[in-house]
Amino acid sequence: MLSMFLGLQSSVVAQMVDWTREVLPILQTHCIACHGPDTQESKLRLDTMTEALRGGDSGEPVIVPGDSYRSYLVERISSTDPKLRMPPDSDPLSEKEQSLLKAWIDAPLLWTEAKDALSKTATTHWSFQPVVRPRVLDPIDTKSIDTKSIDAFIAAKLRETGLTMSQQAEKRRLIRRLFLVMHGLPPTQQQIDHFLADPRPEAWNDLVDLVLNSPRYGERWAMHWLDIVRFGETDGFETNRERPNAFPFRDWVIAAFNSDKPYDQFVKQQIAGDALGEPIGTGFLVAGPNDIVKGQDPLLGLMQRQDELTDMVNTTGTAFLGLTTGCARCHNHKFDPISQSDFYALQAVFSGVEHAVRELPLSQDASRRRTEIDAEIESARKDLLPYTRQRGTRVAVNAKENLEDFPSTEAKFIRFTISATNAAEPCIDELQVFSDNQNVALASNGASVRSSGDFEHPLHKLEHINDGQFGNARSWISNVRSGGWVEIQLPKTYRVERIVWSRDRPGNFSDRLATDYRIETSLDGDNWKQVASSSDRIPFGDGKKEMQYDFSGLSEAELKAAKSSLERIPLLEKEKAAILQNARAYVGSFKQPKPTYRLHRGDPTSSREQVAPGAIASLGQLQLDSTSPEQQRRLAIANWIASSDNPLTARVMVNRLWQFHFGIGIVDTPSDFGANGTLPSHPELLDWLASEFMECGWSLKHMHRLILTSMTWQQDSRPRNEAIQKDSTSRLLWRFPPRRLEAEGIRDCILTASGKLDLRTGGPGFSAFEVELENVRHYFPKKDYGPADWRRMVYMTKVRQEKDSIFGVFDCPDGSQVTPKRSRSTTPLQALNLLNSRFVMQQADFLVERIERERGSMDERIRLAYELCFGRTVTDSELAEAIAFVAEYGWQSFARAMLNTNEFIFIP
Amino acid sequence: MQFDRRMFLGYTANGLSGIALAALLHREGLLATDKSPQPPQIDPAAPFAARPPHFESKAKNVLMIFCSGACSQIDTFDYKPELIQRHGEPMPGGGDVVTFQGKQGNLTKSPWEFKPRGQCGKMISELVPMIGELADDLCFIHSLTGKTNTHGPGENFMSTGFTLDGFPSVGAWVAWALGTESQDLPSYVAIPDPRGTPQASVNNWGCGFLPAAYQGTDFNASNPLRNLVRPPNVLPATDEATRDFVQRMNRRHLAEFPGDSELAARISSYELAARMQLSVPEVTDLSTETAATLKMYGADDSENKLKASYARNCILARRLVEKGVRFVQLFNGAYQTGGEGVSNWDGHKQLQEQYSKHGPVFDQPTAALLRDLKQRGLLKDTLVVWCTEFGRMPTFQAGASGRDHNPAGFTAWLAGAGVKAPFTYGATDEFGYKAIENIATVYDFHATILHLLGIDHERLTYYHNGIQRRLTDVHGQVLVDVLA
Repeated sequence: MLSMFLGLQSSVVAQMVDWTREVLPILQTHCIACHGPDTQESKLRLDTMTEALRGGDSGEPVIVPGDSYRSYLVERISSTDPKLRMPPDSDPLSEKEQSLLKAWIDAPLLWTEAKDALSKTATTHWSFQPVVRPRVLDPIDTKSIDTKSIDAFIAAKLRETGLTMSQQAEKRRLIRRLFLVMHGLPPTQQQIDHFLADPRPEAWNDLVDLVLNSPRYGERWAMHWLDIVRFGETDGFETNRERPNAFPFRDWVIAAFNSDKPYDQFVKQQIAGDALGEPIGTGFLVAGPNDIVKGQDPLLGLMQRQDELTDMVNTTGTAFLGLTTGCARCHNHKFDPISQSDFYALQAVFSGVEHAVRELPLSQDASRRRTEIDAEIESARKDLLPYTRQRGTRVAVNAKENLEDFPSTEAKFIRFTISATNAAEPCIDELQVFSDNQNVALASNGASVRSSGDFEHPLHKLEHINDGQFGNARSWISNVRSGGWVEIQLPKTYRVERIVWSRDRPGNFSDRLATDYRIETSLDGDNWKQVASSSDRIPFGDGKKEMQYDFSGLSEAELKAAKSSLERIPLLEKEKAAILQNARAYVGSFKQPKPTYRLHRGDPTSSREQVAPGAIASLGQLQLDSTSPEQQRRLAIANWIASSDNPLTARVMVNRLWQFHFGIGIVDTPSDFGANGTLPSHPELLDWLASEFMECGWSLKHMHRLILTSMTWQQDSRPRNEAIQKDSTSRLLWRFPPRRLEAEGIRDCILTASGKLDLRTGGPGFSAFEVELENVRHYFPKKDYGPADWRRMVYMTKVRQEKDSIFGVFDCPDGSQVTPKRSRSTTPLQALNLLNSRFVMQQADFLVERIERERGSMDERIRLAYELCFGRTVTDSELAEAIAFVAEYGWQSFARAMLNTNEFIFIP
Repeated sequence: MQFDRRMFLGYTANGLSGIALAALLHREGLLATDKSPQPPQIDPAAPFAARPPHFESKAKNVLMIFCSGACSQIDTFDYKPELIQRHGEPMPGGGDVVTFQGKQGNLTKSPWEFKPRGQCGKMISELVPMIGELADDLCFIHSLTGKTNTHGPGENFMSTGFTLDGFPSVGAWVAWALGTESQDLPSYVAIPDPRGTPQASVNNWGCGFLPAAYQGTDFNASNPLRNLVRPPNVLPATDEATRDFVQRMNRRHLAEFPGDSELAARISSYELAARMQLSVPEVTDLSTETAATLKMYGADDSENKLKASYARNCILARRLVEKGVRFVQLFNGAYQTGGEGVSNWDGHKQLQEQYSKHGPVFDQPTAALLRDLKQRGLLKDTLVVWCTEFGRMPTFQAGASGRDHNPAGFTAWLAGAGVKAPFTYGATDEFGYKAIENIATVYDFHATILHLLGIDHERLTYYHNGIQRRLTDVHGQVLVDVLA
């Protein structure tokens, strides 16, 4: 008896009940038929204390040792609602039984053993076990042991099935495959000729290096990553507004692949790049859709926020860990050791992240230029000073954005005093104070705020003035029509250089605009110094700028100089605005979050106990609590994920590489390495690749090189009868599996064949649509295409919902959901689009122009077309057939046909 | 009645023969104990081939009519005498209700009078009199409840079962499950309103994570299918010869990869495309319709061009159903060309003025479509579904003359194969605000639609991102009472 050993704690012991004698019989009578060794409804067992403590699917704490009131078991047996009360369809437990169960739960010491046992239950699932580098099975060659290892694993598995690898593919096929897989573009004829003529054994390795060192590689592989992280450049949902500042993240991903950024850093920077000198990386967090239609209904707002956070938790889980963490929002994960509390611990990590554009530090060049511009504007204004007719040369105030530049000054307090508006009580949606181009006035930075008095309204609150959010619904309004003041106290003294304020940044409201104001700073809150005011601005509502100056009586030369100064100012201001605009990106904003609570069934109105930020408890712990600073939370989870001790991170990524090379992964559920995912076809190979990946310093290019130089990759792709009968999907890799190119590859290859492909990299994308700029955006497919549309498709602005009208039907995802593996369907609409669309016909015409320009005779032109489209020499019979066809139906039809063939869009 | 285990036990306890009931339900697939996934077996070379359902059913195909913008149940099908009596009074307990656009004003009766219709005497408003005449063929569900009060997520929810973007539409699930009887038309056609697309736009007929082959192909009587016809400067003979030339090259290429199903599928997709080039213009060409038909639909209405245009879409819908297209989705209302209330059913501010325009556009053509399907015998194997994203309030908004969003109780109706009619299922409270009797969810509604097609909603699953995904997520009970 337990109580004998605990005799000293008599008050507790006195109430202790006996499990076997008193509790178990009650449970056996009422519960164990459905929650016992034979049946576990909702995965709950009550036949041992450890199992009872573990709980079931709901995620509710069935037993809270020492607290029967908070124990779900008690809630369910004592419920007055017959639909909820356990056991169902029968009488409730008697009062005596109920109080015995309560007493059992209320004795915490009874639970020590069960708690202990539960914490020791290790998960046995394969992917949660540490990565152990397996012994290479059958080293054939000692020279380049690594790639031979891949082959050894593949060959061993094939041997078990009585299969063998195919022979090496022809060189012309190999080089075409290499470029299509790695670049999504075909090789040039020159590259093909060079490779075919190079007999050296190193020729292939050199070609692999060439391909890996090309910027085309990053563009191709970024596309895969952007699928995985559901990157899009519109908000989705009904308004589907553009995110014109989202593209820097796309460019950042491309650059990361091209520079072979170690994958562990790549991971960390996407979760906490703001702390690691890579601010654009956090574009990952907010790459998903976001419902910007915020109604008046408070419940709607809660649901929307919960959806945003679930999206972040889910994508972090699937992208990096191959764990479908999102499943645990409403209940414990059905298959994996992820509890509902784990979900909310992860949510607490991200709960300070908001969808937003963030200001980025200026580059050195940009910063220098900005200083120059300031000086030039200053000097132009000085030049104009003698001719000023009225007060003010600065641009008049406006509702959307007002800049106050002044010589930088030390300040701890900033006060904005308003003495007149254009209508009604003044309203300010945001007051930003910049030091070193960072807004230091944010509440999340520790700044506080007070005012002369506030207008009382749920949309208009004092705290909105420095919450980092724009718009009327996040603004402050003073309580009096005559004006008022608002004062920000910074957490410390900063060297302040610029203030930006607005009435309504989105531009929907323009009343309540402060037209007469002054801004003062102070170090102590007592002694104030004015740094800016409306006095040097053109008065609000005044007309043309020329009216501000009196140029009468000037000589022609003087007049010319004055006018030139006048014209220069707006140009400089525009340039400066562009510089500042470029230093902004849709990479999220951060603030210290409120506490996170577990939500019963994922419902934001049913919050339960508070949950501290953390990792998935069965896999690891973070040293965090509910007071941990926001950024530190993300850093901690980033470090935990991108660690060699994490059994999932490396495995998941090498499997993705494998999938992108062979069309199917070693695990063919690439974002689900949990118990509901599939088992690896080659577990040792997966672990070997994972350990190699970590040991080489997480270099993706190293892994590509290993795969590309393996015999497995270089096999012929043609089917062999005896093999296809045993393994029709080629999963065991007795050949290289041929397959159709993705949407992007098809479009890029068409443009390459026609000679129109524009290889400019980076920057804002091009649009596939004419956009109707209504509240709810409407996207109409373009009808005419010009050079602006001839860039690679990775630079096509990724509009959610509306896919490209021609290539979208080639299973191109729209970024609404994560897409770890694209489907590959074949449909008549694909055929119609390639046959009849304006885009393809135009490119067919360009292909004709090109072959006519570059070659003289019909034979030669057909030969060139075969090289451009298929990367090979035309055969005699094909040539004869083509000549006959062209003679009867013309070149355009011939080019149109070539772009529609299977050979053109298949990876051989 | 929703059917669940507890109720089953209740029945047997009440003396109804448990065995007889179980046998009945088994045949209907309602008590299948095996709930393991049973996705369709799809031959990659013939992705559109007709496939058998899970169990036998009357309905073979679906016509779904979607009124976009949230069509008010209060002003159409949900008759509430108490609301008429207490017109102008505050709604009891409604003082603190804050809906999408804000606070509520007083209870407001519909500007349209309700009258008994058909043999059954169902009370239906004067806004939709011709649909009302068909009351005996309709099965109303008055107790639907949704999860959101915003249009985009609401339309997503009604069309895909999820409020978020990126999930497959009902039509895509059905096309994936059953393929199509028509081998020269798409298996799933969405017919957008003449005024443009609804608020959630292409999400309403998207394929989500299902293969692209199963997404809805959108065209209507005035906007043809994109890229269907040969390019303008290409002669028909040249076009045909070019396609032959492509196929010759493809077959030669296939000879190098004998038995590769993806290459073979691509060859057959070009053949289907060629057939579609003939069959789609044929099906959209309404010139073969008689003057009487055009008149019945209102397609000849020269006064109301919009109505004539929607009527032509209705005729197109019938023609598609006739040709064996598996799933036809017909929209009334668009966000694109006016938005809130102007071009759709979103009557926040001037309900009477706006609905007075929408009612006549919608009523006659839709009623004619039902009549026409019936007289041609098509209702025998076609399920007709009318729905909208959510309902509206029995009150007018504070300071406005229209109704705000209300997902707490709204109406849809079914007709045709396998549906009990005339019938009314479920009810809202005395004002039409909240569902209180036989409360049904959109999941139940979807489960019922699939059931009517012979599909067990729990077994039609597609693995995506860690989950065997279903149209009905983890919810849904077939509404057994509405089955014939």
